[in-house]
Amino acid sequence: MADIAENTQAATDAMSYIERVAAKSAQDKADGKYAQFASIKDVGVDDGVARLTPERIEKTINQVLRGECGARMRAYVQTCVHCGLCSDACHHYLSNDKDPKYSPVGKVKRTIWKMLEKQGKLTPAECREAVVVSQTECNLCRRCQQFCPFGIDVAYMIQTVRRICHKLGITPQYIQDTCHSHASTLNQMWVKDDEWVDTLQWQEDEARDEIPNIRIPVGKVGADFMYSVIAPEPKFRTHLIYQAAVIFDQAGCDWTMPATPGWDNSDMAMFTGDFETMGRIKKAHYEAAQKLRVKKIVMGECGHAFRSVYDVGNRWLGWKMPPVPMVHSIEFFYELVKAGRIRPRELFPERVTFHDPCNTVRGRGLHEMGRYVANAFTQGVVEMAPNKVFNICCNAGGGVINCGPPWKTKRVLSNRYKAEQLARMKDQGINTIISPCHNCHGGLEDIIHYYGLEMHLMFLGDLLFKYMEKPGAVE
Amino acid sequence: MHAFYALVSGPLVWAAFALFLGGSIWKIASLMAETKAKDTYVVEYWSWSHAFASFVHWLVPFMSTNSRRQPVMTVVTFLFHIGIVLVPLFTLGHLVLLEESVLGVSWAALPDSVVDAAAWIVVLGCVYFAWRRLTLPEVRFVTSAADFVILLVVAAPFVTGIMAYHGWGDNLLMTSLHMLCGEIMLAAIPFTRLSHMLTFWYTRGYTASEFGAVRNVYDW
Amino acid sequence: MHPRHVLAALALAALAAVALVAAPTAWSQDDIVELKAEAFGTHLRPAAVFKHDEHNEKAGLDDCARCHHYYEDGKLVEGQDSVGTPCSDCHALKGAGGQPGLREAYHRQCKDCHVEKAAGPLACGECHTGS
Repeated sequence: MADIAENTQAATDAMSYIERVAAKSAQDKADGKYAQFASIKDVGVDDGVARLTPERIEKTINQVLRGECGARMRAYVQTCVHCGLCSDACHHYLSNDKDPKYSPVGKVKRTIWKMLEKQGKLTPAECREAVVVSQTECNLCRRCQQFCPFGIDVAYMIQTVRRICHKLGITPQYIQDTCHSHASTLNQMWVKDDEWVDTLQWQEDEARDEIPNIRIPVGKVGADFMYSVIAPEPKFRTHLIYQAAVIFDQAGCDWTMPATPGWDNSDMAMFTGDFETMGRIKKAHYEAAQKLRVKKIVMGECGHAFRSVYDVGNRWLGWKMPPVPMVHSIEFFYELVKAGRIRPRELFPERVTFHDPCNTVRGRGLHEMGRYVANAFTQGVVEMAPNKVFNICCNAGGGVINCGPPWKTKRVLSNRYKAEQLARMKDQGINTIISPCHNCHGGLEDIIHYYGLEMHLMFLGDLLFKYMEKPGAVE
Repeated sequence: MHAFYALVSGPLVWAAFALFLGGSIWKIASLMAETKAKDTYVVEYWSWSHAFASFVHWLVPFMSTNSRRQPVMTVVTFLFHIGIVLVPLFTLGHLVLLEESVLGVSWAALPDSVVDAAAWIVVLGCVYFAWRRLTLPEVRFVTSAADFVILLVVAAPFVTGIMAYHGWGDNLLMTSLHMLCGEIMLAAIPFTRLSHMLTFWYTRGYTASEFGAVRNVYDW
Repeated sequence: MHPRHVLAALALAALAAVALVAAPTAWSQDDIVELKAEAFGTHLRPAAVFKHDEHNEKAGLDDCARCHHYYEDGKLVEGQDSVGTPCSDCHALKGAGGQPGLREAYHRQCKDCHVEKAAGPLACGECHTGS
C-alpha cells in the first residue's frame, strides 16, 4: 500500500469537557477576570450609594434590624458559633477557589454582623458591599441551611440585607426595573393588559394549526384550575404557553387563565426586599384565582414564583398557607402522567440528567415527582452529584440573573462548580438536562455556553409536548 | 487560701447558679416573648414531630449529610459535647459536695477514669477547635478574639479540674481555681455564644418545622 | 470593660495561677493512719490520710468527743464520747433522717471544723492522696 502519511495530520488530544472547564478557568484567572469582580459598575447601585447620608444609613439599618426583625434574627446571630461548616454548601465559595469571603457565614459577617456591630453606622462603601453581597453573591438557595448544625437560615439573613438595601435605594438597576414593572403593571415585564390577552389568543391561533379545536380559556369562571405563568413567557417565551395549552387540552383538563392583572406569578420584589410591592402582586394573583372560583392554581415551570406564591407572599399577606391551593407544574404533570391522562407516544431517544431547582426541592421536595415524569418520557435519568434536595444552584435564581448584564460574567464565573458538575455528565455522554425552572435555564444556558459544554436544556413541558400522544392533533 | 475557698465554694456558687438559671430563664422567656410578638411564623409553623426528628439527626453522629462529610469534626464535637455535659454532672467530687450542700441530694458518679478521660477529651477538643480557627481559612475569616475567649472559658474548668484530680499543684488552690473557672463558665452560658445550648432547640426546631411541615423536605 | 474582656481576664488569671503552683508537693509517708472503713466495700478514692496524734496536737484538741461524738435518739449527749466505736456502727452508707450517711459523716466531721477554724485541708486531693 502506498505511503500516504504526508496526507495525515497529527491528531490533537480530544479534551474532555471537565478539562475544558479547567482550561477555561485557568485562562480566566490568567486574564484577571475574577479580580475584575471588584470593579463592576451598576447605575442603580452606584448612583444610589452616592445619595446616601450617614443619618439615612443608620436610621434605615436600625429600623429594619430592630424594628422589623425579632427573635429569629437574634437567635441566628447569637447562636452561630462561627464554625464555618456551612462553607462547602455554597457554589459561590466553591467556585471562587474557596475564598472565605464567599462562604455563607463569611457573607453574613460582611453584612449583618457588621451592621449589628456598628449599630447601623455603616459607611456608603460598606453599604455598597452589602448590596453586592446580598444581590449578586447569594441566590437564597438555602443549601447552607441544610449544612448548618443549628439550621441557621442564612438566606433569611441575606434577604434582610436586601430589604435594607431596598430601603436605602441602592438595589441594582436591572432588577429594580422589574420591580418598577411589578409595581406599575402587576407583572414583571411591562406587559400591557391588552398585550397579555392578545398573546394568549395568538398562541391559541398558533395551536389550532396542530389541534383544530384547542382553546386557551381566558377568564373562565369555575374551571378546575387557573394556570399562571411568569411574565417572561408572554414576553419572549410564548411557545411555552402554547405547549402548556396543548398538554392541558390533550389531557382533558378544565382550566383557565385570567384576563386581568394577577396572571403573572413571578416576583422580583420578593428578591429585592420590596415586600410591600410583593404583597400587592401576590394579592392580585390570589384574587385573580378567587374571582375565577377555581379549585386551585397550577403554575408554570418556575422556581422563584413557586417560592413567592407558596411560601413567602402568603405569609406577608397573613396567610399561613396560600389562600388558594396551588401546585407546581412538576407536581401537576406527575399527576397527569401517573393517572395516564398523558402517555408517551415515543420516548426521548437519549438518557438525560435532571437539574433540581432550589425552590422546588428545598422549597417543596418535588425531586422524585420530577424524575418520575422525566423517566416516563426518556431513556432514563442519570443523576448528577450532589442532587435532589442537596442540588447545586444554577446561580441565576434568587434574583441574581435579574441583576442583569453588568453582573453576568461574575455570575457565570461564580458557578464554575456547576459547570464542572455538568461537564462530568457530558463526559459520560449525557447531552440533555431537564430542568423545570426558567431561572435555572437562564443560568445553565450561560454556563453551558461560556464553558463550551454543548449541552441542551429542556423543560418537562418541552418533553411532554414533544413526545406525548396527541389524539386531537391533525397531521 | 481558706478565705478564697470559702468564697468560691460558697457565695460564688450561688451567684453562678443564679446567673446561669436566671439568665437562661430570661434568655428563653425573652426569646419566646419576642417570637410571639414579632416572629409569629415560628409559632404557626412549629411542628414537634419534625423538630424532634431533626434533633435526632443532628445530635447523633453521621445521621446528617454534612456530619458525614466532616468525619473528624463530627467525632470531636460529639465527644466534646458529651464530655462537657457528663463531667460536671457525674464527677464524684461534685456529687460529694452536692450531698453535703443544703440540697443534700446526690446520684451515682461515673468512675474516675471515665470522667478523667472525658475531661481530657474536652480539653483536647478545645485545642482542636482553636487549631481549626487558626488554620482553616473559612473558619479564620469569621473568627474574632471573642471566639478564643469562649474556648478559654470552656477549657479552664476542665484543665484545672484535671490538675486538681491528679494532684498537680497545690490542691486547695487548684480546687479553688477549678471552682472559680467552673462558675465563670456556668455564668457565661446565657450571656455568650455558649447560649447555643439553649437556642439550638429553637433554631433547629424551626428550620425542621419549616422544611418538614411546609416544604415537605428533610433538613439533614 | 466589655463582659467578654472580663471573662477573658478571669480565665487567663486562673490558668496562670495553675501554671505557677503546679509544682510537685512532697509527702512524709511515716506513721500514716488512714480513715478507712470496711463498711464502704469498694473505695472510690484512696482512703483519707489522717495522722491522729499529730493532728490533735496541731489543732490543740483535747476533747475526744469533739470528733467521737455520742448521740442518743438523735440528740447529742454532752460529756459522753464514742471512742472505740467505729463510725460505721451508727452511720449507714445512706443517710437517714437527720443522720448523715457514712461518707457525708466523715467529710463533714473534718471539713466543717476546718472551715470553722480556717485551717486544715478542704479539697478532695488534700486528704485522698494515695495512689
